[in-house]
Amino acid sequence: MYKIVNVLKKIWPFLITVILWRLNAYFWNPAGILALIPIFFYTFVKPTDWFALFALIFCFLIDYRSGLPLFWTSLFCVFYAINGFQNYIDVPHTDKNGILVFMFFIGIDIFVLILSKFTWINFINNLWLFMWLSILYIPITALDKKITQ
Amino acid sequence: MRKDKLSYKLTKIIKSVLAALAVPVLVIYILVAKPDYTLMNGLAHIVLPVAGFVGDVITWPIRAIGQSIDWMRETSNLRTENKMLREKLDAALSMKYTCDIAMQENKKLEQELDVKHASPYETVIADIKFDDSVFHHDSFLINRGKKSGVYTGMVVVSFENRLVGVISDCGTHFCRVRALSDADSNIAIRVVGSGVSGFLHGDGKNGASVGFFSDTQFVGRNGLKIITSNISGILPSGVYIGDMIDETRVDVLHPNQISRVMVLKYNDTDTYR
Repeated sequence: MYKIVNVLKKIWPFLITVILWRLNAYFWNPAGILALIPIFFYTFVKPTDWFALFALIFCFLIDYRSGLPLFWTSLFCVFYAINGFQNYIDVPHTDKNGILVFMFFIGIDIFVLILSKFTWINFINNLWLFMWLSILYIPITALDKKITQ
Repeated sequence: MRKDKLSYKLTKIIKSVLAALAVPVLVIYILVAKPDYTLMNGLAHIVLPVAGFVGDVITWPIRAIGQSIDWMRETSNLRTENKMLREKLDAALSMKYTCDIAMQENKKLEQELDVKHASPYETVIADIKFDDSVFHHDSFLINRGKKSGVYTGMVVVSFENRLVGVISDCGTHFCRVRALSDADSNIAIRVVGSGVSGFLHGDGKNGASVGFFSDTQFVGRNGLKIITSNISGILPSGVYIGDMIDETRVDVLHPNQISRVMVLKYNDTDTYR
């Protein structure tokens, strides 16, 4: 039993990413976009071995399904590089599991998407996604603590 | 590994350098490979089915519960739906007689005028697997691909023969379909009964509007029927799209309104050119 729990703890980051990506739903989780939460959390806030490569694959899959060629993949690489080179912000030790950094990451990306094709409908839709992702970041990252402890 | 160790810091820097190097490569690829993205799509044809299979296995219990709830809801609505459908059937049967006469007349006229239509010789029925309407893009995946004889550029219609979208990328067992409301969708159309042509482009979210009418004096109005036109030489002509809502907007069918579609395959290979 102990071994199973231990394995589950180790594969949890990968598991939750696949689950959120697969359980896509129109309006609530289009193109499995909620998978960006564990992608960000387990790459920058709570770095997990081999997760960055896995995250890159899932960014690619979100890109493919949402019709944005390599958008999230490129921005993930940009953030990964910036985070690696800087030591001004210690992301793993920021308050509330790094929600502000996550909002910054998502916010910049969504802002680029709003500017790339500005219509009021898209603006509202993207704003909704930004809020929805930010709100769900709290319970999903809290779930990690419950499971890994 | 301790964070203050030199090897940890070195590994972190190497990883960051690799990520930084990947960025210009990806950006150059995006600029160069536009609009086909052959390499990216080719990679997706391998990665997506694998990830989809893993996701299907892992999420099976959750999806089974969701499906059971759906079934229960559908069953409870069955009686009301049945009553409604009976009424619709009665109305449709009474219309049939009028339609039969009109069809015969139409056939006779077509023979007299020597009109030839490209008609689909085969249809491939497919289920909508993922509805991916996000940001300004509106696409969905269907569970039929090259193995079923489906290729990029073919049209996808609903069971009421209404255009839903055009296949934008095709894998072995799946296809990505660009819905009419996608911001990149731009198709040639014709207004029924007027001979006026134009272009229908998606607004990125649930809607589409018509523009660039061949007759500059033409003003659209509610109720006008829109069908595909072959003027751009890409789509087969005569596929029903929807009715106009006002001067420009068209009521197009959105993928979240349906769960199953048909891909039209044509006898004449030139139909899709």
